[in-house]
Amino acid sequence: MNASNEPNAHASASAPAEGPSVPIHLRPARPPDIPVLVPLLLRLKRLNEEFDPLLKVRDDAAEQAQQLLRANLADPKSVVLAAEGVGPDKDKVVGFVRAVVRERPFYVPEHEGVILDIYLLPLYRRRSVGEYLLREVSAALKGKGAGVVTAEFPAQNEIASRFYAKRGFRPITAIHARSL
Amino acid sequence: MADSSVATAPGGREGRRRAKSAEAAAERSEDQTDALGRRSVELSAFYQGKIETVPKVPVRSLADFALWYTPGVAEVSRAIRSDPDRSFSLTGRWNTIAIVTDGSRVLGLGDIGPRASLPVMEGKALLFKFLGGVDALPIPIQVSSPDQFIATVEAIAPAFGGINLEDIASPKCFGILEELQRRLEIPVWHDDQLGTAAATVAGLLNALELTHRSVDSTRTVLLGAGAANLVTARLLIALGHDPHRLTLVDQKGILHAERDDVDELMLRNPWKYRVALQTNGGGRSGDLASALAGADVLLAASTPQPDTVRPAHVRAMAPGPIVFALANPVPEIWPDVARSAGAAIVATGRSDFPNQVNNSLVFPAVFRGVLDARARAIPDAVVLAAARELAHGAARKGLTAHHLLPTMEEPEVFPEVAAAVGDTAVRLGIARQKRSHDEFLERARAMMGRSSRVVRALARARIIPPMPRAGRRRRPR
Repeated sequence: MNASNEPNAHASASAPAEGPSVPIHLRPARPPDIPVLVPLLLRLKRLNEEFDPLLKVRDDAAEQAQQLLRANLADPKSVVLAAEGVGPDKDKVVGFVRAVVRERPFYVPEHEGVILDIYLLPLYRRRSVGEYLLREVSAALKGKGAGVVTAEFPAQNEIASRFYAKRGFRPITAIHARSL
Repeated sequence: MADSSVATAPGGREGRRRAKSAEAAAERSEDQTDALGRRSVELSAFYQGKIETVPKVPVRSLADFALWYTPGVAEVSRAIRSDPDRSFSLTGRWNTIAIVTDGSRVLGLGDIGPRASLPVMEGKALLFKFLGGVDALPIPIQVSSPDQFIATVEAIAPAFGGINLEDIASPKCFGILEELQRRLEIPVWHDDQLGTAAATVAGLLNALELTHRSVDSTRTVLLGAGAANLVTARLLIALGHDPHRLTLVDQKGILHAERDDVDELMLRNPWKYRVALQTNGGGRSGDLASALAGADVLLAASTPQPDTVRPAHVRAMAPGPIVFALANPVPEIWPDVARSAGAAIVATGRSDFPNQVNNSLVFPAVFRGVLDARARAIPDAVVLAAARELAHGAARKGLTAHHLLPTMEEPEVFPEVAAAVGDTAVRLGIARQKRSHDEFLERARAMMGRSSRVVRALARARIIPPMPRAGRRRRPR
């Protein structure tokens, strides 16, 4: 599956305000993380399923996720960050963010950092973690040459819309679909 | 039903005997329900409705209508226009509530629609009047969305001192209640959430007392995550129950923050989602059996289905556990089966067993209290005050494993509950009418007593005709 064509979304990673400390440790994902990242990625895709029948998850989504993550981790244009918990959840991956730098052949800035997935386990939501993830992934994308950061998620996902709108994002392109 | 009761019982002759008795009880109850249903249809055809409006002012001649109606009444309207709160003292608003439903979850009948729900709402109105002295109007409404429901209730609110929401499906009932409570300046109550939860909490407080437990160190399992149990969980936490020592279980097993459907809940049922995140510390997962291991309390309010709770479940709980099996008409486990599996205290939703957890213990008194205080709202603190007073009421008569809660035959408790509700409304600053405890109590006794006197007087005067014998189909003139 081509990362740049897949419809993606974001779970509720909304954070009301910057907390004093963020209860996670963020680091680049590594190939040994793939088995724990796959179920998190699938949770996000199953959430997307709730928004539109055209986002129905494939039967082989788990294998696809595995291959995709493996490709992302080997691709210098991709960013995959793993969020580890703290305290009793230390060393447990509780969320991740996946993004890629794409070229914009017609527009400036010429490179766009696209956030494809952000997922956090529920207990880590609403604690400024999403905000922190967004900041860190934006920095990483900028480091790879992106001059603009965008996010893809289902049009009906109002939680994601609000999350990004609050942080200065606005809709610039829309993808409309119908079955064939 | 009978077959699965057999499966719930322990083995051996004793087990078979108990199973037989449970089976017989189930059959008896089914027969009884059939007979009551037939009779209810017969009487409904005879009386054609259960309540009617009756004047409460003298009408000596038609000339009096110049006072009760135009032109005199215009001055009353002017007075209310300049001070809207006077609608509580110059009209019947202070004692009138609406029973509003969309008919989406009526009794065990499901989504039967507003028309079919009317007999149930009339019955509720009769209970409100008879037990609480409250004038309640049944108002089933035909609506197609929660927003339309909310807008409709908001539109009719000026006529009422309170709103009782009834028989609305979960989870939409949560959003409807929350939004109406936010918008309206009168108490809004949903009995399936608050009434059931308050009665459950009252019974549980006494059960904990009897078994020398305290709410802050108890481990409680709630089976069923619908309207009643989600609110019960919230109330228990408000009472000091450690949320981590609460575990909810539904058809999909233990409700926890990493369950597969938790993101779906976030979108479709945020109330349940919040409870999933808050409860079940230590991250138990699995089925009811895993939840119950070592638990002190089981509060089962699930879809009626026998054999939901088995003796082995009860045996796996902490010694001397408390079991509330509240599904109606068939409890999740029969009381004798639960007791022989070691339950120290058992309560059900049925009147033919001891310890009936019954909404009717709560809602008439709660409304009596908030109406007498002309309250602007009905926060959880008021609900808890009612639950505590109900628990005290039972304790005053002597607390035993068979007397956890007052029965409907102990009506002296209800004015006390109403007074506790009124007091709390005053204390919270939401009462338009401040009264002392004794004044609330006096008034509640008078109002509650008056209704049954009125019904008796009307019956004596044959204005309410006597019940026809079964099988007769004579209609009243």
